[in-house]
Amino acid sequence: MTTAKIQADGGGLWHWLMQDTMDGLRRRRAVLGYLFLLPTLLGIFIFTAGPVFVSFGLSLFRWNIFKPPDFVEFANYERLLGDVRIAISFGNTLKFTVLAVATQVSIGLLLAMGVHRITQTAMRYYFRTAFFLPLLMSGAAVAVVMGYIFHKEFGPLNYYLGLMGVQQIPWKTSADWVLITIVIMSAWRNLGFTFVLFLGGLSNISREVLDAADVDGAQGFRRLWSVTIPLLSPQILFAAVTGVIGAVQVFEEPFIMTRGGPGNASRTAVMVLYEAAFKNIEYGYGSAIAVVLFLVILAFTLVQMWMSRRWVFYQ
Amino acid sequence: MSNQKKMSRRDLLKLAGAGSAGLVMSGLPVTVVAQDSVTIKVQTAGLDDNTLQPVADIMIARHPNVEVEWVVLTGIDHEEVAAKILALVAAGESIDVGYAATEACQLFAGQGLAAPLDDRVTGDPDQDFWTDFFSDVHPSLVEAMMYEGSLYEPPRDFNAANMYFNTNVLAENGFDVPGSDWTKDDFVEIARGTTKKDDSGNSEVFGYAWTNRLWGSWMPWIFVAGGNLYTEERAPGGGWVWDGYYDGDAAADGRGGGFRWREPIANSPEVVEALQLVVDLWQEGVTPDIEMGSGQTLTGFYSTGLLCMTPAGGFWAGRLGNEGMAKGEFDVQYWPNWRNQKHQFGTGGHWLATVATAPDEAWEFMKIEVSHEGFQSSEFFNPVIITTPSRRSYSQKDAFESTGPANSDVFYGTLDDHPSTSPIPAPPWSNPMTTIFTTGTSNAMSGAMSPQDSLDLMQQELEDLTARQPQYYGDN
Repeated sequence: MTTAKIQADGGGLWHWLMQDTMDGLRRRRAVLGYLFLLPTLLGIFIFTAGPVFVSFGLSLFRWNIFKPPDFVEFANYERLLGDVRIAISFGNTLKFTVLAVATQVSIGLLLAMGVHRITQTAMRYYFRTAFFLPLLMSGAAVAVVMGYIFHKEFGPLNYYLGLMGVQQIPWKTSADWVLITIVIMSAWRNLGFTFVLFLGGLSNISREVLDAADVDGAQGFRRLWSVTIPLLSPQILFAAVTGVIGAVQVFEEPFIMTRGGPGNASRTAVMVLYEAAFKNIEYGYGSAIAVVLFLVILAFTLVQMWMSRRWVFYQ
Repeated sequence: MSNQKKMSRRDLLKLAGAGSAGLVMSGLPVTVVAQDSVTIKVQTAGLDDNTLQPVADIMIARHPNVEVEWVVLTGIDHEEVAAKILALVAAGESIDVGYAATEACQLFAGQGLAAPLDDRVTGDPDQDFWTDFFSDVHPSLVEAMMYEGSLYEPPRDFNAANMYFNTNVLAENGFDVPGSDWTKDDFVEIARGTTKKDDSGNSEVFGYAWTNRLWGSWMPWIFVAGGNLYTEERAPGGGWVWDGYYDGDAAADGRGGGFRWREPIANSPEVVEALQLVVDLWQEGVTPDIEMGSGQTLTGFYSTGLLCMTPAGGFWAGRLGNEGMAKGEFDVQYWPNWRNQKHQFGTGGHWLATVATAPDEAWEFMKIEVSHEGFQSSEFFNPVIITTPSRRSYSQKDAFESTGPANSDVFYGTLDDHPSTSPIPAPPWSNPMTTIFTTGTSNAMSGAMSPQDSLDLMQQELEDLTARQPQYYGDN
């Protein structure tokens, strides 16, 4: 039915939608689908995409919220490029991300494989709960408690290491150690996520495939490398992508435990963003840092997705 | 045929909806809001709202139409609380009364967030109140709450950096609490003499410890070495206070309209020497590794006999008692003399927001807080002192009778007997300044940089920071 015919019938848009034909049915289904999506799309637009655009706009101003904003073009970005503290904090974030994601993925996989082999149901539940529990704890509380545990002179960790003859380690007060300390704390807290993810993946690997590998003589490390890990690659990709996104935004652990010190040794990208915007009331400069951080995360994710074409296998 | 209509599913839903709405409405309390009821939002820092509730109770008893709503913001130190207040305001929340120590007084005044109080004080019909208040408060505290000639906070409390001693650790090593004229060399001798090491050379008891922050860290050493982070000068103005309320008080002579900290001097020889002193003590194992922290960070280690000396103010007196230290187990003395004995302090109080929705009621609350009734009821000062009262009459020996220390007269004596005592440097850009200061401090105290290199970098960063600031001081 042509548009002219619809209008001639006096139906307009409503009639076009409510036509008692297969086309009408498809249109109604499509409209219904978009209606269901609308709340989510509105949420994303208002609370995610909107702030991204506003942040970019703000990054072109000098603004302290108390006085009218000053349009400064790209001056905040020029300052950012020459700011040594920014370079160091982004470098720290990169080091932390590599170490934290590698630790979480590798140890999470090892733990999942270990628990997967346990046949006793009660023990499996126990280990699942034990490894997942830290994830449910407040990051701030973990950082405070870990701050005491890692105290050089009075902390229990150095005390027990001392009993084994190990010299006191300046976990939080040496530039050489502090990032490692934060990686350990972060890995302990977040391991449960990768662990559960890999445990689910291992459960989904077909018994027949593993038996076939056995028949072909692939056992032990060979079977792990050539069969198990490729079949777990979708989970590994997911863990890596979400792990990188989370690690690049690391804030509460170093902020509470070291305040970015000693010097700038544990200052991270989000920490300088926080300091610029909320502590120093330089919202334009803080927004410029946020935009750069957003671009870094986007780049990381795109590279991971591109690389995943080579090594991720979907069953 | 029955005339009863069969209820459709739609009718049933309508009825259920109406019924539910009726139930909900009938359950709501019927409240009649008094037309003149006023709520004032008071921000408090660190401690919970119970501490000031007695002051609010006085306010409510006198003005039954007023309600006090607490906005409790915590942080490891004052600049973090200030950052949270700024974030709160940025998010569109309003407060009527905010708390700031010296660290943030000029910050809020400089941004126009805090209102000048000059007209409220001078225009108050109850001038006896202000005559009494100022006669009881040392002028240096008032001057530290001024910015460009105007008063922004009536001081409620203050803390000067004095030296605390664990008397048990002193006695075990054959030392007495030193006299008020002790020197930097005496300090080093006691610090070394009270440090105990195990067989492997690790310190088990430390002679001296401090936390990395603006107030009280190694800043007292900068002052007695003859240095500062910034040049210190006085803004013009303030005559209305000094002539009007301090006339004839020699301690008010030469005071102005608040401090101006203009030029960074962080790498002057005096500052380098002060940093070298504390770095040397750390390298010797006399001082443990230095971490960020507040005045409460070291109380546990101190009370368990693991530390001998640390910088703290009157706020430690009640808190050490809460940690289980009995009267007599700790004492206090002035900061040791080096090139001079210039002490530092920070003072605190509430400021009135320029955007206050109920400014008159908020001002009334601020007055009650610093009145005699306020000091007699506030849990900051009762039953034990957990921050030093700004009023001299509440800082005398009897206030510390139950907790100690024996030398409690040094708290107010730091103001009364040491005319050179002045506030920690805290310009309107004190928040980023503090970050630069603590970062530079930990660069040296972790061994990553020499004191000279660390302070050269600090000086450069402070110069860049200062150059980026708008004109905060009038006659630039």
